Amino acid sequence: MDTTNQSPAGPRGVLVDASWGTAPCPVVVADSTGRVVELNTAARFVFPDAVPGARLGEVAPGWFAEAHRRTAAPGAVLPVVPARTTCGTVGDRTFEAHPSVAADGDVVWWFVDHTDRRLAEEALAGERRRAAVLAGAFSALLSSLNVERCMEVTARMAAEHLAEAAVVVAPGRGRAHSLTYCGPDGEVVHRMVQADVELMPGLGEALRGFPPVPSRWIDPAAVPDWAVPPDLTGPVGSVVVTPLPGHGVPAGALVLLRSGATTAFTDDEEVFARLFAARAGAAISAARMYAEQAAVTTTLMRELLPPQLHSVNGVDFAGAYRASGQSERVGGDFYDVHPAADEGQESLVVLGDVCGKGLEAAVLTGKIRNTLQALLPLADDHQRLLGLLNGSLINSHHTRFATLALASVSRRGSAVRLRVTSAGHQPPLIVRADGLVEKAATRGSLVGVFEDITSTTAVVELAPGETCLFFTDGITEARGGPLGDEMFGLARLEATFAECAGMPAEAIVEHIQMLATQWLGGGSHDDMAVVAVSAPHHAHLSAVDGHTRGRYTA
Amino acid sequence: MTPNPPPFTLTVETHASWCVVRVAGDLDYETCDELVDTVVARLTGCSDLDGPPSDLRLNFAELHSVDSMGLSALLMIRRRTDRAGVRLHLDERPGVLERLLDMTGTLGYLTAPCRHAAGHERPGTG
Repeated sequence: MDTTNQSPAGPRGVLVDASWGTAPCPVVVADSTGRVVELNTAARFVFPDAVPGARLGEVAPGWFAEAHRRTAAPGAVLPVVPARTTCGTVGDRTFEAHPSVAADGDVVWWFVDHTDRRLAEEALAGERRRAAVLAGAFSALLSSLNVERCMEVTARMAAEHLAEAAVVVAPGRGRAHSLTYCGPDGEVVHRMVQADVELMPGLGEALRGFPPVPSRWIDPAAVPDWAVPPDLTGPVGSVVVTPLPGHGVPAGALVLLRSGATTAFTDDEEVFARLFAARAGAAISAARMYAEQAAVTTTLMRELLPPQLHSVNGVDFAGAYRASGQSERVGGDFYDVHPAADEGQESLVVLGDVCGKGLEAAVLTGKIRNTLQALLPLADDHQRLLGLLNGSLINSHHTRFATLALASVSRRGSAVRLRVTSAGHQPPLIVRADGLVEKAATRGSLVGVFEDITSTTAVVELAPGETCLFFTDGITEARGGPLGDEMFGLARLEATFAECAGMPAEAIVEHIQMLATQWLGGGSHDDMAVVAVSAPHHAHLSAVDGHTRGRYTA
Repeated sequence: MTPNPPPFTLTVETHASWCVVRVAGDLDYETCDELVDTVVARLTGCSDLDGPPSDLRLNFAELHSVDSMGLSALLMIRRRTDRAGVRLHLDERPGVLERLLDMTGTLGYLTAPCRHAAGHERPGTG
């Protein structure tokens, strides 16, 4: 018989000899009453109970019997449209069943095993979902430099995508650990827990986690109560502990939990948890490092910010400072007023400019201010004070220096007396009551470079309403004005200062800083510092109590 | 109005026994290291087989501005030329540089004849 033209639904009885009899794919022929007519060898392996004459409903899965019933209803005429392909499982495999209907109503079912393709498709869908979760986690974690927020996001995403509930354990100080819980309902709770992390199997290692330790299977019975989110219903069924690797140091550990009712963690899930943990750990670690940096900067800033000035022993002091960069509140200019213990003694005013900018300049500024504070008992002798300061700053590796203007200020009756010394700095200006501006006759060398330094001290007397002004070159060298590149200059400063005759110290400082800022326009500038020392108008001595000699009030 | 200060440039002329470095533009925080590096390269002779020059002339005719970091660079250069036994000259100083050197008490030191021994640095007399 020529089998090349053999129809798949050929005459009964000869089918078993047909070419498909030995085909690798299972073939089943059934008649319109739902009985098996014939099947090939491959089909016998899939449907071991099927023999010719058996009812499909008894020897084959329900989905196949139902598909056959729909395709080959008794008395059905030849369908106009091709019969529909059906899918279903047989044992642990899945098949596509392709029917072809013969003229006598028999249906030949061709089975294609597509188990592997389905598994691959499922794996692909799973990987896509995980990649989407990781991408989502990445962007959610990157959007914050706040440690608590990062831990919250980590706990919430882990509870949502990796487990039923999750706990993020931060490395503790001593026994206290910061824990972030998230249960099945997505509610995040922070809690400080006093606990020995070694009691939780795998957690101690995960927290030491550098080099990272692999996730470990944990006996649910060994999980202490503090490691279980409060809203996890039912007993703990399965647990995984994964380290959160940080930048060189562990950022904490992630505990994933499922209640008893649900399935345990698979190897794939554990690998995915580790991937997720790597991203979360990096984000938490970056946030923690940023927080530490910010804390250090804040601490430094607090120490280095110029002080608020006010009246001391009947002398008005006012100061203003503007750092060059918007982001830097501390730069190379500084000022301090060290008030005298009582009005008979001298208060020390210091205004200075350290070369350079940024953190290096700020650190040198701090050093100079601290040294001067320590040398206060020697402030009577400016030359000695500057000599000692100079000696403490000299360094053979660099030529960073500072210029300073010092003044020892004391009240003499209604007048104020200043002993003023410049160490390589602009000499201060004095505005007299009539608007005449003078320059203090002092000069000297900068500090921090030369072995020996020299300076001269000038004595300045201020009558009521007169002011002595200390300033840094950020004011005189402010570039701007109508042409855009002109310096504010000493002459312009003197003219501005002359208009300030008789004004209180605070108003003078504000006025000068405002004009310099206007001069700049929007341009960049160096640090700017101004300090005014004024003899107030109408100051009078008033006894405050019976113990002191009295105080000056403005 | 956008001010356009002249760009910072260093032009080096090497002669038989002396060297001229022309400094143009702003000598400040951003540019001072370049000047120090250029000068030190001349002093250590790594760019010149004949060894360091006997005189180093810094020419400031085209200097636009100088700040405290610029002055710090000049102090470092003077320290290095003294150590190398090279005479340092600060030529054609514009008013802005002259005033800075005068006010900070560094003019005398920076323009004094070379001290060959690496002795104590003395302040300028202003």
